[in-house]
Amino acid sequence: MIHVPAPDAFAVFGIARTLDLDESELELRYLKLSRDCHPDHNRTQTSNDCVAVLQRSAEINDAWNVLRDPWRRARALLEAESEGVLARNKKLDPMFLMEALELAEEVARSDSDDQNTLSTKLNAAIEADYQALRADVANSDFDAAAKRVHQSHYHLKALHDLEAKS
Amino acid sequence: MSDVTPPNTRIVIGIDLGTTNSLAAVRAGSVPHVLRDQGADPLTPSMVTFHPDGRVLVGATAKAMRLEHPDRTVFSVKRLIGRSASESQSDTADLPYSVIANDRDLPRIKIDEDELSPEAISSLVLKEIKSTAEQALGHAVHEAVVTVPAWFDDAQRQATKDAAELAGLDCLRILNEPTAAALAYGLDGKNDGTVLVYDLGGGTFDISILRIHEGIFRVLATAGDTHLGGDDFDQLLVQRILNLLPSKEGTEDAYVLQAVRSSAEGLKMRLSDQEQATLELDLGDRGKIEMTVTRAEFEASIAPLVQRTLDCVKSAAKDAGLELQNIDDIVLVGGSTRIPLVRNRLEAATGKTPHTDVDPDLAVALGAAIQADILAGNDKSLLLLDVIPLSLGIETLGGTVQKLILRNSTIPTSVSEEFSTGVDDQNAVDLAIYQGERELAKDCRLLGQFKLRGIPPMPAGLPRILVTFLVDADGVLRVTAREQRTGVEASIQIVPTFGLTREEVRRMMIDSIENAQEDYIAREAIEARAKAEAMVRGTKKALTMAVLPPDQTFAVHKAVKALQKLLDANAEPDDLKSASDDLTKVTATIADDVISAAVTKSLKEDQLP
Repeated sequence: MIHVPAPDAFAVFGIARTLDLDESELELRYLKLSRDCHPDHNRTQTSNDCVAVLQRSAEINDAWNVLRDPWRRARALLEAESEGVLARNKKLDPMFLMEALELAEEVARSDSDDQNTLSTKLNAAIEADYQALRADVANSDFDAAAKRVHQSHYHLKALHDLEAKS
Repeated sequence: MSDVTPPNTRIVIGIDLGTTNSLAAVRAGSVPHVLRDQGADPLTPSMVTFHPDGRVLVGATAKAMRLEHPDRTVFSVKRLIGRSASESQSDTADLPYSVIANDRDLPRIKIDEDELSPEAISSLVLKEIKSTAEQALGHAVHEAVVTVPAWFDDAQRQATKDAAELAGLDCLRILNEPTAAALAYGLDGKNDGTVLVYDLGGGTFDISILRIHEGIFRVLATAGDTHLGGDDFDQLLVQRILNLLPSKEGTEDAYVLQAVRSSAEGLKMRLSDQEQATLELDLGDRGKIEMTVTRAEFEASIAPLVQRTLDCVKSAAKDAGLELQNIDDIVLVGGSTRIPLVRNRLEAATGKTPHTDVDPDLAVALGAAIQADILAGNDKSLLLLDVIPLSLGIETLGGTVQKLILRNSTIPTSVSEEFSTGVDDQNAVDLAIYQGERELAKDCRLLGQFKLRGIPPMPAGLPRILVTFLVDADGVLRVTAREQRTGVEASIQIVPTFGLTREEVRRMMIDSIENAQEDYIAREAIEARAKAEAMVRGTKKALTMAVLPPDQTFAVHKAVKALQKLLDANAEPDDLKSASDDLTKVTATIADDVISAAVTKSLKEDQLP
């Protein structure tokens, strides 16, 4: 089974490809699109059109889920700019992997006293990942940006594991 | 009321088909209102009596007969609808009327020689509601929106639709009860913000968290306890009363049970207004009972059940990505929210005083009327964006479930996956769709089997079948498939199975939290083994095809052997993983990518269901 990528979320929303979206504007855009395209407001059409309305409405809901999440948004942007870029850049720097492994061990070993410090550290790492990603995208270095996305995965997972512990 | 209806407006009514009571409402103009007989109680008891003289009585007249004909007065069929007889056994054991299993293990209500389905009983209630509505409106009604608990599964929703059809109603939408209540609450536009609907009815408990913004009602999360309600509170009092009975034979008597159940309900209601209540019950030759219950005693006995509802509130807030203090308002629905303890506990947990402007008994029907009006095309300023309550997934290698659509996803939603074949000239692929939150198929509920047919004959792995799973605005799954190389549409045959029971949904939810760790380990072990096996197979195959320098051939052989040895010894997943990684390293260094390509291909084939 191979996951088939969803259509470009930025195109579905009819907005420019950028990482920096204003979340409340994005939400308003989502609500407007839903109002225009939802099948409940388009019930009198023929059955073939109905499937098209349904597809369009599903695309809008799914694109909203992508765009509202900064990391999923980044993935969508990179794929739209350079197809297959995420798959091509899976190999990460061994130094980074070592550090990520150490972080994961630190999380596994942590007790309630360390958790605040660790959480701050991980959040800072994730924020740094995103800033670096932003710079790569600004320079149109999508390969480097794709690596950042893969790297962030380790930090996000460590944070998730940490939260699951407490 | 017909005079306020603009001409040529399509009229669709909203119906709250409840466990204990039902009612209808319509929105003609801006505000919805309840449809009732002049001066009558707006609530119609969801009860049907099959009188020995042949009459069929529905609603209040049936309720009046339940003491006289306990074995012929049918109620609470909402607990049976869309479930199998064995699944609903625990719910039917203490009913005063007889429920039997038919040859397909479906529950049937036995009255004399007749065996009636729960759908048929519900349709009698719906017919009564329909005729009351028609009298109030002054014209015929053909279309309706009917509400169900948010946790009703596919089979239960379908059965409810069938009941509507039996009653001569085209059911335009099955709507979740808490969502309907939110529509009634937020209609006037003064309540934009985040709202929690707490719906504690007779049989089920439901929660929805919604965001309301300028007429758009967006559900962020739903949760619930599928087997908790006012009846459970009654049952605690019933036990206390039965313990006072002089003879134990009385507890087997349908008449006594019915009388005790009615008086327990009365006691409970009085305890919402009074600090204590006294019961005097004369059961003729079964004896007399007199007892006094204080509110404090009653509250102590129901406290654990109320706590369970609060746990659900917390988990729904978490699913919605919210803290409890981010919730702007709380809407109470269902008769059981009149109990002071419920209100106090909810207020203490959230720091908000529950909103009481909408009558908890009417809110669901009023909201259904609003959705009915939207679907009739009369109001484009309002829109409801609902979610699916349970995740949908398909079974993949080793019996694990790959989730395709996560619970609380806004509908409509869709996802596409590409499949191929495992053997040459294979012309069909089976897909099993599961509903639930657990990692393994055996712990989820089978929703249906999809058989993809008509795949053109091709060597294994060559067909590219694009399968699209789409959940429509009704929450119903539609599957379409197309072979990408030839453009042939593969047809899909759905083999439906029985839907989830409410109890199962609840259990599955709790289990998924309790067993998350165990599931993860089990899944990892299965996947590590499957991956290792595929790598051994793929590498061996590739070695027969590729011509490699001797030292590399040796290194690859060595790594394959090491991995095979671990597989034979049923090694731990971590060891399998590290040996698999070693093999990957060896094959990755080979300049010719024949091997890695073959391994990748083999892995993909193994992903086939």
